[in-house]
Amino acid sequence: MFFQIVRKEILESLLSVRFALSILFTIILFAASTFFFVERYREQSEDYWRRHNENLSGFREQTDQLCNIAFYEQHIYRKPKVLSLCASGAEQRLPGHFTFDGFDIGLPQIVGQSNFTLPRFGDLDWAWIISLVLSFTVFVFAYDCVCGEREKGTLRLILAGATPRATLLLAKYAGLILTLAIPLFLGLFISMIILIASGTESVGFIRWESVVVVVLTSFLYLSIFVFLGIFVSARTSNSSNSMAALLFIWVVLLLLIPSLGRVISDRFYHAATTEEFERAKSQARKSIDDRFYAGAYGSKASGTAPNRDDPDVDPPGRARYTVDETAAINRVVDAQYNRMLAQAEAGRAFIYISPAVVYRRICEVMAGTGIDRSKSLYRQIKRYQQNLREYILSEDQGDLGSLHLLFDDKARVTGWTTISHKSVNFDTVPKFQERDLGLGESLRLAVWDIGVLALFNLVFFAAAFVSFLRYDVR
Amino acid sequence: MIWKIAKKEFLLNMMTFKFAVGTILCVVLVAVFVPVLADDYQQRLQRYSQQVTDNEAKLRQVKAYRVLTPTIYRRPQVLSVFSQSKEKSLADSAKIGFGARPDFDKIPEINAGPSEVNPYLSIFPGFDFLLIFKIAMSALALLVAYDVISREKEQRTLSLMLSNRVPRAHVLLGKLLAGALTLAVPATVAFIVGLLLLQLFPLISLEASDWVRISMMYITSLIFLMAMYNVGLLFSSLTGSSSFAMILGLFLWVLFIIIVPDGSVYLARELQPVGTVEARDEQMTSVKKEFLQEWREKRSTLPRGGGANTEEGPFGGRGHWYIIVCDPAEVEYWEKGASLEVSLNVKYARKFWEVEHGYLEGLLRQTRLARNIARISPACLYDNAMGSLAGTDLADFQAWTAATRTYRETMLRYIRNKTDDLRDPSYITQCTEAERIAWAKGDESRDEAGESAAKHTSPLNLEDLPLFAYTMGITQGLQRATVDLAILLAFNVLMFSLSFVAFLKYDVR
Repeated sequence: MFFQIVRKEILESLLSVRFALSILFTIILFAASTFFFVERYREQSEDYWRRHNENLSGFREQTDQLCNIAFYEQHIYRKPKVLSLCASGAEQRLPGHFTFDGFDIGLPQIVGQSNFTLPRFGDLDWAWIISLVLSFTVFVFAYDCVCGEREKGTLRLILAGATPRATLLLAKYAGLILTLAIPLFLGLFISMIILIASGTESVGFIRWESVVVVVLTSFLYLSIFVFLGIFVSARTSNSSNSMAALLFIWVVLLLLIPSLGRVISDRFYHAATTEEFERAKSQARKSIDDRFYAGAYGSKASGTAPNRDDPDVDPPGRARYTVDETAAINRVVDAQYNRMLAQAEAGRAFIYISPAVVYRRICEVMAGTGIDRSKSLYRQIKRYQQNLREYILSEDQGDLGSLHLLFDDKARVTGWTTISHKSVNFDTVPKFQERDLGLGESLRLAVWDIGVLALFNLVFFAAAFVSFLRYDVR
Repeated sequence: MIWKIAKKEFLLNMMTFKFAVGTILCVVLVAVFVPVLADDYQQRLQRYSQQVTDNEAKLRQVKAYRVLTPTIYRRPQVLSVFSQSKEKSLADSAKIGFGARPDFDKIPEINAGPSEVNPYLSIFPGFDFLLIFKIAMSALALLVAYDVISREKEQRTLSLMLSNRVPRAHVLLGKLLAGALTLAVPATVAFIVGLLLLQLFPLISLEASDWVRISMMYITSLIFLMAMYNVGLLFSSLTGSSSFAMILGLFLWVLFIIIVPDGSVYLARELQPVGTVEARDEQMTSVKKEFLQEWREKRSTLPRGGGANTEEGPFGGRGHWYIIVCDPAEVEYWEKGASLEVSLNVKYARKFWEVEHGYLEGLLRQTRLARNIARISPACLYDNAMGSLAGTDLADFQAWTAATRTYRETMLRYIRNKTDDLRDPSYITQCTEAERIAWAKGDESRDEAGESAAKHTSPLNLEDLPLFAYTMGITQGLQRATVDLAILLAFNVLMFSLSFVAFLKYDVR
């Protein structure tokens, strides 16, 4: 009986106008999103590799003297990813250009063809299509699955037989999920065909396991709306009321709640303005300068005579002073960066009551994009800076003429030879390479979110089940 | 008869579940979020007032015309509570300066870049009063309209009605009138609740012009809701079944509300690519180099100058200093140097602006294209019209930028008038001839001259300083909203005409 009902549900849906419309919408959107993506990805990849090579060739030029390596201002750009087709994580609007040398790192900047005058827009990716359009389609299929049958009088007929209500409910659920699988798989299939046919080189490097997780998560996400649809349909006596209620739920969950993130962030968190940030940096510098003038670094730390043997200079004292000053400013930059991220994350935490936000985050984590990637990239650069300094100091050990003092004052470091002037082999110099999270790490990051989606499913399943058991079929 | 039909339909609508849910949802959303939005506006206004006060305090400390480099701030619009549009994402200040030595860290004219402090907040869409109307109320409009004809057919009341001597046009007009009245109820309640809540905030004061604009916003909202109602009416007149009409209407609603606004941006980005930030920065760097080169060349032709005791101006920044006391040779240098400095700054400020403006124009072309494509959606037309009426759209920002540039020229004229076309030493110092001679002698007399000059170096009397004034008139806002309003009205007329034609041919059996 279960399979008979499932079959009937699917066939009924397949012959309906709503199915035709959802297929049309889904195919057009998946195809359009992939076309846009392919074009943009190609441009972004070209830009990325050009900039990457420019940075490397500039870095290579510094290797004629070890001391120069730490002072070279490196430009690291966020690498475009093929999986951003699944979830681009708003990366086009997020800062993706990191500038740093061996000592400090600036706040990341926005680069490329960014247009701040455009209206805010959603990213036309799989996550967007599934979270908004397909979830809407679910409601269009589900709104009359119980009350519609009641209106037609068929529900009474079915239940007059020996079919238990639970079987009917599960069969309806299975029928809806399988019906939805058709536009979803068709859309994904078309998207993949376009991607492969476009000859995008990186297709071969796609981590297919992540794609599978995204697809499975999509079903988990859509399943919430199926249960919600059945629940509302089982709570109302006519399909028009059911659709009205579902539409308003959809509007609130998917459009209004996600828009509140900004309001909440602005209301409860405050990231320093540019002036405040600059003032904080000046204060940090001043606090170290005050210690400097109070003699905390020795009386000769202020000496800047060109000769390190000059009795008025104290290279270790000067180095301590500069290192402290750099660390103080770095602390301010780190604090500002963390505050900015905390502000964005606070807003996102609030809107977590929307399943669409949870789903998009899972997709971003699996695709390795979004704010989490920005955070990881910043951490990786900080670690790389540390490695670079360690490398310089270890190479410097071989030069007996050097004072082995590395600090952020190029004139003094080179003039006093506190770090060796010998050339180094470029191949041995550490280069920055962004490390993507492994599947296990990504899953670990996403597991709570997947749990939240599962919980949503459980809650709405229970609600739908109880409502349907108590449903008056007359 | 029209009125009777309208009354019956209106009363029926009032008692429906969808109307109750939609209205309660909209009113609750307005009641909860208008205070949050108003508080956000208050905070921005407080910050703006603080900045203006600081700026005025610094103006009172200016002791030489060279360091007269105030900042102009853009006042947040009170109606941004209704429509935020681009209010938060565009530059809200412009530094006015001419006299600093080639200051390579800053663009002397206006920086038209984004003002967003935290770029990571761009992951969130904006939220304002308009969003509630654009999404929740438009859904309600569609739900009210989708079955106005087809339901009557299903219930067989339509054939009954038309079997009497009621013209079809009257039936449709009655339905239209009923729809307008029904939707006016939640719209009016939402506006009243929103405005009452706004009045509770002490810093928010609405002027007469604001009330006119709010009235226009209210009318625009009704026109938009009617556009969505007419879409529903059309589908209801085209189909024999309400559920079919609803499905068609809802898919079109998704297209209008979600797909077209986002898709238009994507399409515009493909069709009209913009220059990169790096390309602009490269151009800026080359202008800066040219600036430096010319400065060095021309500077070598000036008198050599002498020693000087300088102090930083109140507005601060690299190169923003004036002289407390100096030797006569320094004044000789400034007699020609000031003119060179200012003329070069003005010349290169223009060049910097050309680069900035060229880049910005590219961005605006793309935005205009996106906006034009999006005009197929009534929701985007509504968005544009509301932004224009609230004074938070791009055009308002451009008008403010233009006003700032004009003010910059006015300021320059003022300084030239005050300093005998920059030849007078007051441009750079207030020290006297005797103090300069004493300072040039060195040793003790230098200290005395410094002390004496510092004593009488007092803030300039800037009472006649031209003030910056920018206000957006109602007419400008209305003019900018006209196109979108006209298209929205035309959309209404088109949809109703189509509904009319469809209803004339409607099979009522």
